[in-house]
Amino acid sequence: MGLRRQNLKRRIYRDRHLYLMLIPVLLYFVVWHYLPMWGTRIAFQNVRFIGKNEWVGLKHFRVLFSSPIFLKVFFNTVAISTMKIVFIFPLPILLAFLLNEIRNPHVRQGVQSVVYIPHFLSWVVIAGVFISLLEAPDGAMNKVLGVFGFDPVSFMTSSRHIRWVFVFSEAWRSMGWDSILYIAAINSIAPELYDAATVDGASRFQQARKITLPCIAPTIITVFILNMGFFMNAGFDQVFNMMNDAVISQVDIIDTYVYRVGLRKGNFSLGTAAGLFKGIIGIGLIFTTDRLSRKLTGEGVW
Amino acid sequence: MVKIQYRFSQGLLSLFMVLLALVMIYPIYNQLVISLTGDQYIAAADGTTVIPRGITLQTYRSVLSIPKVYRGVLNSIFITLSGLVVNIAMTAMGAYVLIKKDLVGRQFFMGLIVLTMIFEGGLIPDYFLMRDLHLLDSYWSVIMYKAINPYYLIILMRFFAGVPQSLIEAARIDGYSEVRILFRIVIPVSIAGIATISLFYGVFHWNEYFRAMIYLTSEVKWPLQVVLRELIVSLEKAAFIGSMNYQKMAGAAAIPFKAIKASLIIIAILPILSVYPFLLRYFVRGRLQGSVKE
Repeated sequence: MGLRRQNLKRRIYRDRHLYLMLIPVLLYFVVWHYLPMWGTRIAFQNVRFIGKNEWVGLKHFRVLFSSPIFLKVFFNTVAISTMKIVFIFPLPILLAFLLNEIRNPHVRQGVQSVVYIPHFLSWVVIAGVFISLLEAPDGAMNKVLGVFGFDPVSFMTSSRHIRWVFVFSEAWRSMGWDSILYIAAINSIAPELYDAATVDGASRFQQARKITLPCIAPTIITVFILNMGFFMNAGFDQVFNMMNDAVISQVDIIDTYVYRVGLRKGNFSLGTAAGLFKGIIGIGLIFTTDRLSRKLTGEGVW
Repeated sequence: MVKIQYRFSQGLLSLFMVLLALVMIYPIYNQLVISLTGDQYIAAADGTTVIPRGITLQTYRSVLSIPKVYRGVLNSIFITLSGLVVNIAMTAMGAYVLIKKDLVGRQFFMGLIVLTMIFEGGLIPDYFLMRDLHLLDSYWSVIMYKAINPYYLIILMRFFAGVPQSLIEAARIDGYSEVRILFRIVIPVSIAGIATISLFYGVFHWNEYFRAMIYLTSEVKWPLQVVLRELIVSLEKAAFIGSMNYQKMAGAAAIPFKAIKASLIIIAILPILSVYPFLLRYFVRGRLQGSVKE
């Protein structure tokens, strides 16, 4: 015991310069991340600008859960996230399969480098581009629909369409980039498997179904589980930049609620309570999905 | 017969995929077309205009002469570059220390950092922190925001772990200080890793608007993305150019709203698109590095 402690001391002394280098790093995390975590205590307080804040227990949470607006916001968050997972999740997998089937490397790489581009654009830019694209009646979308005899629709201000605009623009932005993982997984499959299948007379489609899909299944499961862990993030930047008064009741999510009610209207405690509620659900989801991942693939989320 | 069939399906698939890529890029291309269209044709230019008529850079010249816009461009460049210096220095120091396997407390420090990926204090506590640190309306509030991204820290640790340990040990025996080993040996050897995380951090800073919008109260400090957002959301040309400037800026005032918007969108994309083809492989490698678990 005495020897180990001595050893420990010696190791710490030996690495003293490394600890010195670590100080700014740790200081950053403590100040920029852990102080705000401690700051969430205002969810249980009334904020006073003069004097000390007063503890009020769960008062703000009670207000929150009895507010029809917040319930609607919670429902919107779940609805938008669910739509995104259901409709967007399969797309990069499909894209990876199709890209993998292209034999000409120039065509394949050319397509790949184009479909990655939207990932690097800010949501401000994407909102600007989509507002133009979906404008009525001059936007490209309405022009094309007009050819098929449809009346122009103002998609951005239509509460029936706006959530589909979110799904569509999110798919546009992330489909290419998210396919990278699957492409890498497909590339790491042993070619002998395909050679054997070809000898046995399996068609390309059969090969994709019987070889490629089972081989990349662990990747698919891992990515799916990771996505579920961040389920409560329905996409703040997207919603914030694409929302407008005409559709707010359909698209207001927890994060935009925190900004609007908490920061803009100055209900700091109520906003923090809403954020904290979301954060706690998030932690729960991540730990659940980690458990699930360990069971299904033998590996945790981290 | 099989061969012909194969060629046919290959051709069809390639055609389909190329079309998909073109459709995906088209909305951006359309903005470029509108921004380049000459003012006598601009009224007729819409979402289906493929070839710009009367090509001119006049829109760009006028838009860049609006004080808000050129200040926005300069602010964005300043914030991105300063942010990058902080990001790289801090992330490299963290990664270098934390790759040492027998460092006492390493697990604890990693846990402390990884925990911040799972739980955040959130917007309002963040805002109060900036207020209490007297950083509101200071460039530092946006430069220091996400100074170390744990994902990128882990990516860089993977690159650093590839540096031969014997090289580092030899330098230690020669009496090199740790800082010198980091900057003289580890960083030069893993320059691809530095390039990768610089790209990610650079894109992040260039695209960041929200924190700048809430932290920077003076308009003169706004980066380009905040300026662009104001234009897109407010949809009001006169308010955007500013009534003060509206009289002076006859050039800008004469340009239709859609051309101003299109040119601003292109200006906001241009820096990213101009480095993109050369650095794509770093992006892709970084994406893969970040996905593999430690």
